[in-house]
Amino acid sequence: MFKGLSLIVMLLLSLPAHAENWPAEQWSTGPVITGPALQALETYAFPPRDDSTRTGVRTDALLVIRDGQLIYERYAGPTTADTPHLTWSISKSLMATVLGVAYGEGLFKLQDPVQTFYPPMKKHPDVTMADLLHWASGLDWQEDYEYAPLKSSVVAMLYTRGHQDMAAFTAEHAEYAKPGQAFRYSSGDSGLLAAALKTIVGPKRYPDYPWTALFDPLGIHHAVWETDATGVFVASSYAYLTARDLARVGLLMARDGRWQGRQLLPEDWVAFNRQPFAHYKAHQDDAVPGGQWWLNRAVDGAAQPWPDAPADTYAALGHWGQAMYVIPSENLVIVRYGDDRDESYQHNELLKLALKAFAQKVQP
Amino acid sequence: MSVLRRRPFSALFLVLLVALLGWIWQEREALWAFPDIISAYTAKEYCSCRYVMNNEAGYCHSYVKQWLPTSSFVDDPVSKRVTVSGMGRSNSAVWMGERQGCRLQ
Repeated sequence: MFKGLSLIVMLLLSLPAHAENWPAEQWSTGPVITGPALQALETYAFPPRDDSTRTGVRTDALLVIRDGQLIYERYAGPTTADTPHLTWSISKSLMATVLGVAYGEGLFKLQDPVQTFYPPMKKHPDVTMADLLHWASGLDWQEDYEYAPLKSSVVAMLYTRGHQDMAAFTAEHAEYAKPGQAFRYSSGDSGLLAAALKTIVGPKRYPDYPWTALFDPLGIHHAVWETDATGVFVASSYAYLTARDLARVGLLMARDGRWQGRQLLPEDWVAFNRQPFAHYKAHQDDAVPGGQWWLNRAVDGAAQPWPDAPADTYAALGHWGQAMYVIPSENLVIVRYGDDRDESYQHNELLKLALKAFAQKVQP
Repeated sequence: MSVLRRRPFSALFLVLLVALLGWIWQEREALWAFPDIISAYTAKEYCSCRYVMNNEAGYCHSYVKQWLPTSSFVDDPVSKRVTVSGMGRSNSAVWMGERQGCRLQ
């Protein structure tokens, strides 16, 4: 009798360790977290908000998934759980994920020249899909938003000379380096990926492809992805998702491209996303570029960009403080939307405080 | 050289003028496009703030505010078309649909 009971107790205890949580129509919720560590995180992420000066840390949404369950969410400003929030450059990582599904269908290879799928790139015949994914096309692109509006390629692409046909505008740029040899962050490179995808999956499937390939299988029902006048998705900037929905993509990544029983992204695709670009030089950017994702890796003699987070942390990052952090070793996905108009918000600070509040393992 | 010695300031002025004209010629495309930025940016990002993110009009006005002024602003909620003028140029953005969001015209 006693033996039988202890067996049942053991079974019950071991169940949560083996059962894998996945969101159904809604996220299931995990244990409610409270205490001083959470308070410290909230003090940092949600200071009193001043919409007239727009200074300081201005978090719109903070949401945490642990072990596939929602354990924390809070919204501020006009944003709610139902707001499809502008993700800005998180869109780049989302487009890479959509491309990953096409890659899994065997429709292209990383070393394929982009010109195969997008003829205007015949001017730059040696640029490959991998080069674009690394932001290493070698095209002479200028990525400043507000501070150099005259010379900014991205402002011209989104609002003036390039906005009707963004990929064509990008392909017109001159070459400053050999393709694949140098990193230079470029919304143009990301946009070319979206243009290439049109041929990769065919013009018939293309307008619905982000939905059929990625959003529908993950149960994301309210995604918006704006296009230019040629119908090409603005992969650099204009995808909109609720924080809860974006976290689904984070969970897909945290589980190496698997969604429930289905390997939606090939494992080697996710491995490529998470592999530092070999020719990246220390301090060229705030984090280390992988395949359209940002990595917390110590490379080229420099320390980890976010020293208080595990080395396997990686992220999708966007303008004005948009971020999704994936921390596989902690089974954590953190979505942070914001409206930061200055440099107050720091990824490392948020990660440090979030790990103190939510991590189960001992931090380094 | 004698010109330089007799009229040094005029000569310097001429050199600078030539350099400026050269720069204008070199940057003519970017300079011509520049005045469009503020109205295009305001129309597009207001449209998306209002009709994609479904935020209130008052919030979206402050959300798109930049250091450059705009001179006129029309948001037609029926056609979901936002038209903004500034720096002598006018631009519109239109809400296209549930999935496509807004597009600058």
